Amino acid sequence: MKKLYFVMALVIIASMMLTACGAPAAPVATEAPAATEAPAMTEAPVAATEAPVATEAPSTDCTSPDVFCVGVVTDVGKVDDKSFNQSAWEGVQKSKDDGVADIIQYIETTDAKDYAKNISQFGDAGYDVIVTVGFGLGEATAAAAALYPDVRFIGVDQFQAADVAGVTGLNFPEDNAGFLVGALAAQMSKSAHIGGVFATDLVPPVWRFGEGYRAGALYINPNIKIDVVYHNDVGFDKTFTDPEWAANAANAMVDGGADVIFAGGGKTGNGAVVAAAQRGIYAIGVDTDQYFTLPEAAPRILSSAMKLIVPGVATLIASAKDGSIKDGNFMGDAGYAPFHDLDGEVSAEVKAKMEEIAAGLLDGSIKTNVAPVKP
Amino acid sequence: MQPEKQKTSLIRRVLQSISEAVLIPFLAIVTAVLIGGLIIKVVGGDPFVAYKALLQGAFGSKKAWSETAIWSTPYIFAGLAVALAFRGGLFNIGAEGQLAFGAVFSALIGYALPEWLGFDLPTYIHLPLAILAGALAGGIWAGIVGALKAYTGGHEVINTIMMNYIALNMTSFLVGGVMKDKNPLNVISRTPLIAESARISPIFTGLRIHWGFALALVMAFVVWWLLNKTTLGFEIRTVGLNPDAAKYAGINVKRVIIITMLFSGILAGLAGAIEVTGLNYRHELGFSSGYGYDAIAIALLGKSHPLGVVLASFLFAAMRNGATRMQFMTQLPVDLISMIQALILLFVAADAIVRYIYRIKVKGERVVLTRGWGG
Repeated sequence: MKKLYFVMALVIIASMMLTACGAPAAPVATEAPAATEAPAMTEAPVAATEAPVATEAPSTDCTSPDVFCVGVVTDVGKVDDKSFNQSAWEGVQKSKDDGVADIIQYIETTDAKDYAKNISQFGDAGYDVIVTVGFGLGEATAAAAALYPDVRFIGVDQFQAADVAGVTGLNFPEDNAGFLVGALAAQMSKSAHIGGVFATDLVPPVWRFGEGYRAGALYINPNIKIDVVYHNDVGFDKTFTDPEWAANAANAMVDGGADVIFAGGGKTGNGAVVAAAQRGIYAIGVDTDQYFTLPEAAPRILSSAMKLIVPGVATLIASAKDGSIKDGNFMGDAGYAPFHDLDGEVSAEVKAKMEEIAAGLLDGSIKTNVAPVKP
Repeated sequence: MQPEKQKTSLIRRVLQSISEAVLIPFLAIVTAVLIGGLIIKVVGGDPFVAYKALLQGAFGSKKAWSETAIWSTPYIFAGLAVALAFRGGLFNIGAEGQLAFGAVFSALIGYALPEWLGFDLPTYIHLPLAILAGALAGGIWAGIVGALKAYTGGHEVINTIMMNYIALNMTSFLVGGVMKDKNPLNVISRTPLIAESARISPIFTGLRIHWGFALALVMAFVVWWLLNKTTLGFEIRTVGLNPDAAKYAGINVKRVIIITMLFSGILAGLAGAIEVTGLNYRHELGFSSGYGYDAIAIALLGKSHPLGVVLASFLFAAMRNGATRMQFMTQLPVDLISMIQALILLFVAADAIVRYIYRIKVKGERVVLTRGWGG
């Protein structure tokens, strides 16, 4: 009797497996004519653009020169990390909405040893542009550029010490972002006393945020009192991960009369932002719009000094398509995040002034005069 | 007639025990894959396309085979580590920490030894030293737990988990601090690259598969030989089955427990050392996506037999490696693979479920994996 059950179970499994083998044959067969029709219908642009959407296997299309494909390889993070990976993917999505990219796709890396393999998924499939996100993929990206000479690589936050053929590093003027929020802080401060709490001035981007902030505040009010501290008193292992120190530093500044605090540098910066928010003064975040990443501080987050990754990625993809893209470093734009809950407290004059400064930084009529690294 | 009859019944019994050992894991895999397919269907994917992509990604090309072998390498070492401890009646949850220590010390010897000595070493000295450093670091780390168990009765499950925290945080401290790559452009926690003389060479040019994979297979044989052909192996198995009986039989149980953990840790340390010397050429934080924890599943699935561990490692490696292709073709989240792995483990661990579904009678003695808390 038991044997009978076993045989029956086997038969059921076998039938499941057989149907499993039979089923995919149908969609493949119906897909095939659609794929072959696509190039023939070039005179009908509507149909042609629809074709790649209709076919379920995008890899077959990307080898065609008419189809512009963009892939994203994340670092060990997800495309919804509310940070660099998400912004890069949104930039790629934007390039599709803009009609630049036809097919877009991402691969989330689960293990650093897969960087090369994940990049080659796109390379082997004939993708035109591969966006790799984060400093950690820098070496894998440079190595892949040698393997896939026809592919344009965009490395987000990958500073290019020397040009690599086929690789464009997307970097950001942190000093401009710092300048913007510095100008904002100086205008919003009632006590003419503002503070800045940063991880370390030995890491160039953090230095540029901090000194840009100082320069922006002085641009508005040459007599303003600015407290800026860098957490240089500890090693690299601690400087980015010390929210307690940052909270103490922020509290000391508030006690001293500061009523706006800008903070930057990983968890250290977050600690100061949260502490400032708890004291009920204006807090300013960094990198991305921290209104969304620090919900506990959100009601008091006035703005964030942002690296505009989304438009930066989209711009580079467009220039990759028209062929104007260059190897080496590309400077993206900096900006400041919306005021969100505090929008009502920011006057129309301040908003107008901020737009004027942003435009000035963009066209070069305003300069931050911040050295790229600490002299 | 009598000896002949005995002979056939012996063959039948051997065949039965083999089918018993293989059947349950096989059915567990089949069941998990079927349920996984249902889940894919529910989240809106096509299970046939997904599984086809998974297989393609794991075995579809020379490169895919090579990557699957690369993934299986740390799994085999770490799986053997956990399996060996199982056979000795010990539950080594600490493979992850032992592996991280192995990687860190292997990297240290790999990049720093020539600096300390002031001259370059030939590969045949430097490479074995680097691997040995990693193996010993893992071995000592686990050996401490073995000694605690032998002399104080401290349970190895608690202690290996605690030692994991210490090892992982110490690793993060070292790699982000004194051992951090001093290149000023480097912003992430990773060691410098190890010297060329400390690297394992690839087996084929153009593919990443390296001789560490062959070493993993050799170690599987060595573990089998140790367990089944040596006095020590007999002692380990005896202590694993019944420590009281072992004691009465004149076996020094404390010594065997310490040696078992030491060997287990050496195997786990090798997993880390081989990843560093054969593949990554440095240690980077976040390099292991939980090999040490997957290893427990692999040892269970492989029924703690070295051959079983090798096969289970291949299965897990194929799923991990093929997941990229699956995600690329279907945009299904890679987490699905972790879910299917968890289901397989669930069905193997709770084999009563599988026995019930497929109506399989319990035959003979059950494999004793651990003695549980009372041991």
